[in-house]
Amino acid sequence: MQFANRTSLNNAAAVSIRRLQAKLVQCGKPFYLLMALAVMALLPLTAMAELPVPSHITPPPGEHEGEHVPQPIEFPHDRHVKDMKINCMYCHTYARRSKVAGIPPTSKCMGCHKVIATDRPRIQKLTEYWEKGESPRWKKVHDVPDYVHFTHEKHIRKFVFDADFPVEDVQQVCGVCHGEVREMTVAEKKKPLNMGFCRRCHEANGGPGDCWKCHK
Amino acid sequence: MSFKNILENFSKYRRGAEEGGHHEYEHRWGMAIDLNLCIGCNACSTACYAENNLAVVGKDKFEKGQAMHWMRIERYWDDADAGRDFPEQGALFLPMLCQQCGAATCEPVCPVAATYHTPDGLNAQVYNRCIGSRYCNNNCPFRVRYFNFWSYYESSWPEPLNMQLNPDLSVRDKGVMEKCTFCVQRIRTAKDKAQRENRAIVDGEFQTACAQACPTGAIVFGDTMDPNSRVTKLWQEHEVERGPYTSKKPKQNAELRGYRIFEELNVDPSIMYLERVRETEV
Amino acid sequence: MSKMKSVKIDRRSFLKMLGWGGAGTALAGCDLPTTVTLEEGKEEVVSYLMPEEYVIPGIGVWYASTCLQCDAGCGLHGRVREGRVLKLEGNPDSPINHGKTCMMGQAGVQAHYNPDRVTSPMLRKNGTLQAVSWDEALSELNGRLGAVSGDRFAMVTGTVSGHQAVLVSALMEQMGSSNHFAHETINARVWRQVCEDMLGDPMPRLRLDKAQVILSFGADFLGTWLSPVHMATEYAKFRSAPRGMLVQIEPKMTLTGGNADLWLPARPGTEGALALGIANFVIERGWNKVNVTPNVRRALAEYDLPKVEEITGIPVSKIKRIASLLSERSPALVLAGASAAGFEDGYESVAAAMLLNIIVGAVGETIEASAQFPEAALLARQGSTADLIKFAKGLENKAFDVVLFANTNPVYTAPEALGLEKGLAEVGFKVAMTQFPDETAMLADLVLPLASPLEDWGTHVAAYQAGGDPVISVQQPLMEPIHKDVRGFGDVMLGLLKARNKEFEQFADYYAYLKTAMLNMPGLADKDNKNDAAWNNLLQKGLLSAKPAKGKLSIKAHTVEVAGYQHSKEYPLHLVPSARLGLWDGRHANIPWLQEAPDQIAKVVWDSWAELHPKTAHELGVKNGDIIRVSSASGSIETQVYIHKGVHPDVVAVPMGQGHTAYGRYAKNRGANPLKVLNPITDKKTGELATHATRVKVSKVPRKNILVKMGGSETQMGRPLVRTVSADQFRRTEGEG
Repeated sequence: MQFANRTSLNNAAAVSIRRLQAKLVQCGKPFYLLMALAVMALLPLTAMAELPVPSHITPPPGEHEGEHVPQPIEFPHDRHVKDMKINCMYCHTYARRSKVAGIPPTSKCMGCHKVIATDRPRIQKLTEYWEKGESPRWKKVHDVPDYVHFTHEKHIRKFVFDADFPVEDVQQVCGVCHGEVREMTVAEKKKPLNMGFCRRCHEANGGPGDCWKCHK
Repeated sequence: MSFKNILENFSKYRRGAEEGGHHEYEHRWGMAIDLNLCIGCNACSTACYAENNLAVVGKDKFEKGQAMHWMRIERYWDDADAGRDFPEQGALFLPMLCQQCGAATCEPVCPVAATYHTPDGLNAQVYNRCIGSRYCNNNCPFRVRYFNFWSYYESSWPEPLNMQLNPDLSVRDKGVMEKCTFCVQRIRTAKDKAQRENRAIVDGEFQTACAQACPTGAIVFGDTMDPNSRVTKLWQEHEVERGPYTSKKPKQNAELRGYRIFEELNVDPSIMYLERVRETEV
Repeated sequence: MSKMKSVKIDRRSFLKMLGWGGAGTALAGCDLPTTVTLEEGKEEVVSYLMPEEYVIPGIGVWYASTCLQCDAGCGLHGRVREGRVLKLEGNPDSPINHGKTCMMGQAGVQAHYNPDRVTSPMLRKNGTLQAVSWDEALSELNGRLGAVSGDRFAMVTGTVSGHQAVLVSALMEQMGSSNHFAHETINARVWRQVCEDMLGDPMPRLRLDKAQVILSFGADFLGTWLSPVHMATEYAKFRSAPRGMLVQIEPKMTLTGGNADLWLPARPGTEGALALGIANFVIERGWNKVNVTPNVRRALAEYDLPKVEEITGIPVSKIKRIASLLSERSPALVLAGASAAGFEDGYESVAAAMLLNIIVGAVGETIEASAQFPEAALLARQGSTADLIKFAKGLENKAFDVVLFANTNPVYTAPEALGLEKGLAEVGFKVAMTQFPDETAMLADLVLPLASPLEDWGTHVAAYQAGGDPVISVQQPLMEPIHKDVRGFGDVMLGLLKARNKEFEQFADYYAYLKTAMLNMPGLADKDNKNDAAWNNLLQKGLLSAKPAKGKLSIKAHTVEVAGYQHSKEYPLHLVPSARLGLWDGRHANIPWLQEAPDQIAKVVWDSWAELHPKTAHELGVKNGDIIRVSSASGSIETQVYIHKGVHPDVVAVPMGQGHTAYGRYAKNRGANPLKVLNPITDKKTGELATHATRVKVSKVPRKNILVKMGGSETQMGRPLVRTVSADQFRRTEGEG
């Protein structure tokens, strides 16, 4: 429960101080600026061919051939995850605390890329955004419909923290829904993420079956 | 969940209600609304619009009875006014919302099981399952179910009004029935938080939007299964019990103010009203 | 963190750094409910640039602020997610609203996100308003201000308090003008004057909670009078066992009247005579707790009950009953609101009510000395209609060359007879600081778009302080401005001041000014403000209380003279322009939730209506939905009829709020504005517009409307939905509370 306290600091009832940090969303019809509502968490780090499935999870069957979605910066997950062995939750830091996993704030990218690989075109593009005080408009790859209430926090808690699963291997848990992200450059959707997929997993792993648990 | 499953659950919950209360409830959310304190000011109703993404339909559709006010304040003139020049005793205000019946008449008639009973004692409406038959609406004695005859997303929330929409629940589209949920998104948030902190929900740690706004505190919301909650105590104080109407005397103590509307229909409403108090000597 | 980009901290770039400052950029992590999509790559996700530690996408954060939907000064908590404010609740720490809100407070978000905001400065060129830059707008304004001298400059605002009031005074001082007019149509100006004259305290605290009987002459304290949410919270205590009794005398049933135990309509304008009659009877019976001077006694003796019945139309038996209640159910409290005050002798009527308070011993019991905020400069400059009339007189005399309007819309609220539009046409340069394209802005030469209250900084000192130590309530932005080209009221004022007085240049912006000002206020725990702790605490709590400047009540009962009742052949009816909790004086007519919310009594939506007693309707031969023309000596309006018994037969009541000719899609060309046809009659003592004094005639127009209202049946049809119980039984079973 080490994250519980931290989470409670951010609970919805705490009246927080100061002005607002976040600027708002200008939502044009075609772009619904959804933050990492659904999912962009990803993962692997062991350099094995097949991502192992943790023994305490019975993965639901189901595959999906995702489209390639062009992103403003072609972010290489493989480079970060497979080569640099960076943990999913280092960048997708909200996954354990909120319903959304969160696209990492640009400040997090710049934490490293102020000094690392500054000669690469993608990093220069990122730096340009940073200096203008803007963030890239990422395209959402993993999404669930509006009437679905999905929360990363509960899934991570059940399958990682409560299960005493080693946090360093978390990409195996994330991979159940997000596929083998360590082999991708920009993320692609590899699992169907439809109701059948969710239900099969809930049935196999003892998830709730009440409609209003997941529908809103 | 198979259809068979759903039917079995239905029977279980409905039978439970008739036997004096289902015993496997996790919570049983309920309310007490004090008509002595309700002033009919509309704060609850507007709070509900703000919390629950209720569409504004406009004058023409309002006239056709298509307004979406999950929480509405009925205003009645006293029957006794008929013989008077003026309504000398004021008006009668009645906040009317889904009564989250224990044996709800809306549930068994849904052809697709889009409305069902939750382990929290709520009448749930699953929007993505609803096909818009409106049977539930016809079967509801309280007239608290609202049908989306139109798609209101564009007309009700022209930019940037749509930025106010609450992301914790969906915007209902054309052809879907909707109704008061006792702010299930707030219930969900509170339960998640309590679970995370490994504790039970504390009475009063959250309220429905209407109860929170009500300037006179006429609406009390809570878990009727929590023996220490304010709402349980009020129910006990006024000797109102859950369960079917026929199994007990109409009113245990006629001196007390608690009653449930249409209790005699045996629907086991989750809302207890407290009678409006009137001076007799004016 | 050391690798993080370091940015100079001024407010705007600070925000920019923390959030999303870039022009037109979007933001962070919103899961805005929209249509459903499962398609990959169709929706955009934008991350934070550099979020605060406690901001987590998907989890709401609450900030304290202040509600500006009316001038009661309720404290707010706003729920913010992903940079958007989603929901407002009351601040439980506020002694004014105790965590509660009214419908208008709830709808604050729809004013803020309104689709009809003014989004850029507009300057009139060749007769039409055209978008210009702030630089151009301000250089034009500063040029005009530089060319005007002293009293030729006028400023019109609504009620203004806190540091905004300080800046308004400072600007008036710099301009050398004394012509600041504060205008509010819904006000308690006459009540204040009476309290000041007879009790020595303009805003005494009213202890509804202590009262056992309240006699209210048209004071709609649950809806529109003084501080409605606060009054409603006190009303709840008043109604708890042993339960006080409410008697409401008014010509048209208000929300408060709808909750009365006894509701009676006196003939319009005779509330004063009724109060005097009751007072006379109380003294006659020796029920008075306080003795009056022989002078007052003699004057009262004129009002014997048969005479009062003749004037007021209230039967002697009822008057006796009310009088005996006031003594039986001590302590009592007598209030007087718009329908008593809105006449030529309105001051006298309210004074008569106050005299009754004195006689029955309410003063000191249910009326207590106020605890006012100690910093005089921050106190509310309360709006009135007397100021509007003074302003109109000035226009008539061509006394102004430049007029600056801020957050007020007198072109809509002023009666036609005041000739405001004509007078304004003669003014060289008119500036409107506003959020919305309202009627006043449409006539202006320069329109400056203001940030909404949820985007702006401010401090507010409520005129009615609710008890305990008085508070100043802080208004902080709940989000960045939706439209990039709007500016805060304080920022604009500060800019104008900087151009005239170098001393103001030490403040980068209004935020810096406010922070300095608040941290130097007496009463703040930590003036050193180490690490911003004191400032952050203040913002987190949302208010600051101070040791009160305690008032003292000193009774000065004097004789009161009310006019008798005059019948009129030509104009047989009285027009009551009733105030609604909801649309208020018309300022909320552009909020869809409030348009769709049924009126509490008539239950009509999205339109105006004229309330008629069935007797009157029968005489006129009209039915629900028929259109009638209501004509006064000053003009006429047309609207649909709603018939019910909660209105005096000599009255036609038309609610304020509709009848806009501008003000955006929800308000424009909808219903009628009764304020327009009011005759320019004023209260003799205070100069307030006598809002209820206009006599009208009604004629049927051969047109019909479908009356759109909530609810099919007007009664319960015998069904026991709202059950009732007698107060005796209630006291027996629920005891002494």
